[in-house]
Amino acid sequence: QIRLGVGSSSAAASIDYANPRKYEIGGITVSGAKFLDPNTLISLTGLKIGDEIEVPGDAIGRAIQKLWDQGILGGVDVRATKIEGDKIYLDFFLTERPRLSRFEFSGVSKSNAEDIQEKISLNKGRVVTDALLNSTRTAVQKFYQEKGFLNAQVVIKQTPDSVIANSVALEIKVDKGEKVKIGDIEIAGNEAFSDRKLKKQLKKTKEKSFYKIFTSSKFQKSEYEQDKKLLIDFYNKEGYRDATIVSDSIYKINDDRIGIRLVVDEGNKYYFRNITWRGNYIYDDAVLNRVLGLEKGDVYNKEELDKRLNYDPTRGTDVTSLYMDDGYLFFQIEPVEVAVVGDSIDLELRISEGSQAKINAITIQGNTKTSDHVVLRELRTLPGQNFSRAMLIRSQRELATLGYFDPEKIGMNPIPNQENGTVDIQYTVEERPNDQITLSGGWGGGLGAVGTVGLVLNNFSLRKAGNWKEWRPVPSGDGQRLALNVQANGKRYQSYSLSFTEPWLGGRRPNAFTVSLSKSIQRFSQANDLGQLEDAHIDITGVSTSLGRRLRWPDDNFTLSNSLSYYRYNMSNGALIFPNYAEAANLKDANNISFITSFSRNSIDQPTYPRMGSSIGLTATFTPPYSLFKDNTNNFQWIEFHKWMFDASWFHSLSGNGKLVLNTRAHFGFIGSYSSKSNIGPFERFRLGGSGLGGGGFIVATDYIGLRGYEDESITPLGTPGGIAFNKYVAELRYPISLNPAATVFVLGFAEAGNNFGTYREYDPFKLYRSVGLGARVFMAAFGLLGFDYGWGLDDVPGRPGVNGGQFHFIIGQQIR
Amino acid sequence: CSKYNKLLKSDDVDKKYAAALEYYENGKYERAGALLEDLMPLLKGRSEYERANFLYAYTKYHQQLYLESSFHFITFGQTFPRSQYAEEAAFMNAKSLTNESPSYNLDQQSTVQAMSALQEFMRRYPQSKYMQEANTIYEDLSKKIELKTFDNAKMYYQLRYFLSAVIALDNFRKNFPSSTLNEEAAFLRIDAQYHYAQQSIESKQAERYQQVIEIYQNFVDAYPNSKFLRSAENFYDSSRKALEQLNKTGQPAAATATTN
Repeated sequence: QIRLGVGSSSAAASIDYANPRKYEIGGITVSGAKFLDPNTLISLTGLKIGDEIEVPGDAIGRAIQKLWDQGILGGVDVRATKIEGDKIYLDFFLTERPRLSRFEFSGVSKSNAEDIQEKISLNKGRVVTDALLNSTRTAVQKFYQEKGFLNAQVVIKQTPDSVIANSVALEIKVDKGEKVKIGDIEIAGNEAFSDRKLKKQLKKTKEKSFYKIFTSSKFQKSEYEQDKKLLIDFYNKEGYRDATIVSDSIYKINDDRIGIRLVVDEGNKYYFRNITWRGNYIYDDAVLNRVLGLEKGDVYNKEELDKRLNYDPTRGTDVTSLYMDDGYLFFQIEPVEVAVVGDSIDLELRISEGSQAKINAITIQGNTKTSDHVVLRELRTLPGQNFSRAMLIRSQRELATLGYFDPEKIGMNPIPNQENGTVDIQYTVEERPNDQITLSGGWGGGLGAVGTVGLVLNNFSLRKAGNWKEWRPVPSGDGQRLALNVQANGKRYQSYSLSFTEPWLGGRRPNAFTVSLSKSIQRFSQANDLGQLEDAHIDITGVSTSLGRRLRWPDDNFTLSNSLSYYRYNMSNGALIFPNYAEAANLKDANNISFITSFSRNSIDQPTYPRMGSSIGLTATFTPPYSLFKDNTNNFQWIEFHKWMFDASWFHSLSGNGKLVLNTRAHFGFIGSYSSKSNIGPFERFRLGGSGLGGGGFIVATDYIGLRGYEDESITPLGTPGGIAFNKYVAELRYPISLNPAATVFVLGFAEAGNNFGTYREYDPFKLYRSVGLGARVFMAAFGLLGFDYGWGLDDVPGRPGVNGGQFHFIIGQQIR
Repeated sequence: CSKYNKLLKSDDVDKKYAAALEYYENGKYERAGALLEDLMPLLKGRSEYERANFLYAYTKYHQQLYLESSFHFITFGQTFPRSQYAEEAAFMNAKSLTNESPSYNLDQQSTVQAMSALQEFMRRYPQSKYMQEANTIYEDLSKKIELKTFDNAKMYYQLRYFLSAVIALDNFRKNFPSSTLNEEAAFLRIDAQYHYAQQSIESKQAERYQQVIEIYQNFVDAYPNSKFLRSAENFYDSSRKALEQLNKTGQPAAATATTN
C-alpha cells in the first residue's frame, strides 16, 4: 500500500529513475484525508518547503515511513504534481482506514480473554489493517496451541461501529476444539536401552495414563523438539556417539489424542583409546592427564569430556581452570578425534596456552542502591593480580552472600586487552529488596497474646541519614544493618531492642562492629500458699557493643568476636521470679557488666540445608571479680560469674547424591564464681528440656536449652532456679523433601541425651537423660525456620513423674543448641 | 474531583484538551498528564497533536518521572524533528537524564547517557540559548565520574591493596588527564608504590623503590608547589635509603647464592 508514484501527465519534466536528481521542495500538499489535519501530517513527514531532497531518494521513503509509523493510515501515495526547474511540488495522497473502536471475544473464558489481551496488540483507535488482523489471529491460535488445544479455530468478524465515524468493531470468535494429549509414545530401533528408560529422557513429552495425575501430557512443539535433543544427549552420554533419530512422526489417534513414533539408530558404543596432548609447554602430559582423569577404555562421553576440559564444578578442577586460575585468560583447548578404529577413538587435545593476563580495571554496573565500595571490597579480583577464573567465581559467591543482589543475575564480564596483556573485569548486579518488616501477633511463651513489630534494614547507611534527600524510603547503600524490634502484650511483657552493625569498621578490614540497646519489662502475679495474689516485676535495661573479626589464621573460616555489655536489673519480689533461690527475696537492683569473647570456626556449606562442614565455637563470659576485693559478696548489687559455652556441630552426607545428611552435635555449658566463698547467683542459669524456647514462665536472664522428649524446663535440678553445668549430645539424620530455596522442607530422626546439674559435685558427663524421635522442618525465606518434633523421653526424671514419654515440640527459628 | 473524573470519561476531545492545558498551567501535572495520555491517540493527525506530545513529556518531567520524560522527549524529537520545540525537547531530554543521575558512588549509567545526550544536543544546536546551561551540567556530570573513579582507586589504598591502588590511580591519571584530583592521585600513587615496595620480596624491592623515585620526580615536575610535597619527599627519602640499604646487603646475598 505504499507507493511512490511520480509523474502526472502535466508534469513538465519526467523523472529519470536511473539518475537521481536534487530538487528543492516548492510545496507540499495532502489529499485524500477526510478526518486528519493536513498541517500536522506535513509536519509528521519531516519535510519542509525549501528542503533540498534527492528524487528518487531516501527522503521521501523516510517521510512515508514516518506517516506509516503513526498507524492511522491505510495507504500513502506520493506524487510530484509539478516540477519547475529545480523545484518540486509533492502531494501526499492518503487513504484512511477504519479505526478500531472496540473488540470482544466469544468462545473464550474471561480469564483466558485477559491473558490473550496481553499477547495481542489491539489498541483502540488503531487502524485496522490486514496485517493486524492476521497477527491477532495467529497470536490467539498460538495461545491455545500452547495450552494443548491444537485444533483451535479463530475467526475475526468486522462490523462497522455506528457510534464513531470511520471505525469498526471486531469480534474474535474462537472454537477451542478438544484438548489434545499424547496418547502413546512408541520408540523403535532401540536395543541397548528399554523403551521405558528412553521415555524417561523426554522431560516434557509424556504419555497420558490414568495413574500419572501430576504429569502433564500436553503436546507442545517446542518442548518436543527440545526433548528429542535430550534423547540424543542421553545416548551420547552413554558412549553412543553416532545415535540419531532416523524419523519421527506424529499421528492422530482420535480427536483428543495423538501418538508419537520415534525411530532411533543407536550406532556403536565407543571407548577412549589413546589420549595425547599438543601445545602444552607449562604443564606436562602427566599433570594434564591427572587433571583430565580419563583413561584408555573409558566409555566415550563427549559431555563428560567437555566438562573435564572446560568447566567442572562438581570435581572442582578441570584442565581450563589449571590455566585460567593462573592468568592464562586466552587459553584454548580443542579436542580432535584423530582416529576412529572399530569402537575405539584416539583423541588429540590441542592446546593454545597464550600469555598471562593481569587484571587492570574493575567496574560495577547496576548498583542503583548499594555504594561502590560495599561491592568492591568484597571482590577477590584485584587490579595487578593475574587473572583467575576461580577468584572470579569466588567473587560472584561473595556478592551473592551479601544478599543485596539477585544471585541469579550477578554477571562477570572479563574484557581482555590482548595488546598489553591486561584484562578489565566488569561486574553487573541487580539490586533486590532485602529489608524485612515483621508485623505479627501470636500466642506464646505462656504470656498469652504477644504482638511484634520488627524492622530489619540490611543495607542501611548511617552516613546518609543526615541528608533528607537520601531517604528513599530509608537511607541505604552502605551495607550497614539496623534492626528494631518491639514486642509486647500489654502490661505483662514488653521488650524493645535496637541494634546497629557496621560490617567494615574503619573501612580497612571486615571487622564487624555492633551496638545494641535493649529494654524489657516483665510482670508476674502468682497465687501464694495462702491463695493471695502476689505481684513481681523485673525490668532489664542493657547496652552492648561488640567487635567481630574474620581471622586469617589458623584458616579463613575462623572468627573472633569480643563484646562488652552492661545490664541493669530492677526488680521487686525476687523470690517469685527466681523460685527456689533463698536469697532472691533480697534482690532489688542488680548490675551486670560482662565481657564476652567468642572464638569460632564455621565451614558449613550453606545455611538452609547444610550437607557438609562443621561449626565449632567457644564462648566465654566474664564479669569483674568483685568478690576478690570486697567481702560483702552476695548482695547481687554487682553480679559476678563466669560462664563457658562450647558448641560443636558436624555435617556429613551419607548418600551418594548428598541428600541424606548426618548431623552430630555436642554442647556444654558451665557457670562458675571467682572465689570459693561466693555463691553462684540466680542469673544466667541453665534450664534444660522441651523445645528450648522457654515455655511456661519465660524469664529473661535465663538460658533455655532444648531436650526433646521431656517437658519444657523439666531437666532442671530440683530446688534451684536453674543448673550451673549442662551437657547435651545430639545425633540427627536428615533427609530433604524439597530443596527449593523458597521453601526448603526436610524430615529428621534424632537420638539425643543431656543433663543439667545444680552443683559441680554432682556433675557427671555420662549421667544422661536420653530420648529418640522424629520431626520435620520447613524453611521459608519470609518466615525463617519452623518445625515440629515428636520425641520420646526414655528415662524417668526423679521427682518429676510424667515429664518424659511422648512429647510434641514446636520449633521456631534456627537454634544453636 | 468529580469534574476531573467526568472529564476523564468524557468523549469530547476539544473540551478535554482545553482542560488538560488548564491543569497544566495550574501546575496539576498529574491530571494534565492523564488527560493528555487519553487524548493522544485521538489527536493523532490533528493540529494539536504536536503540542500535546510536547506538554505530555513535560508533565512527566514536572512529576519527577525523569526516565519517562526522557523517553517522551526523545520520541517527540523523532516524531517532530522540525518542530519549533525540537531544540527544547533535546535539551530537556538531557536534563531529565541528568536529574536521574544518582550520587557518584552508585551506577553511573544515567550519567553517561545524560552526557551523551548533552553532547548530541550541543552538536545539533550549537547556537542554542541553553548552551551555557548545557556546558555547566556537562561539567558537573563529568566531575562526578572523575570523583567516582578516584574514590574507587583510593579505596584500594585504604584496603591496603597497594599494587591495586597504584594501578587504579595510574588508570585514573590516564583517563582524566585534566582532572583537579590528579594532584592528590599522584601523591597517593607515590604513597601506595612505596608501601608496595616495602611489602615486596627482597629480590623485587630495588626495582619497586626505583619506581617510587620515578613517580616522585614526575610529581615534583608537575606540581612544584603541591601541599603534599613535604610528605611525598619523605617517601622519596625513605626509598632512597632503602635502595642504599639494598645495595649494601645485595652483595653478600649474591655471594651466598653463588656458593650454594
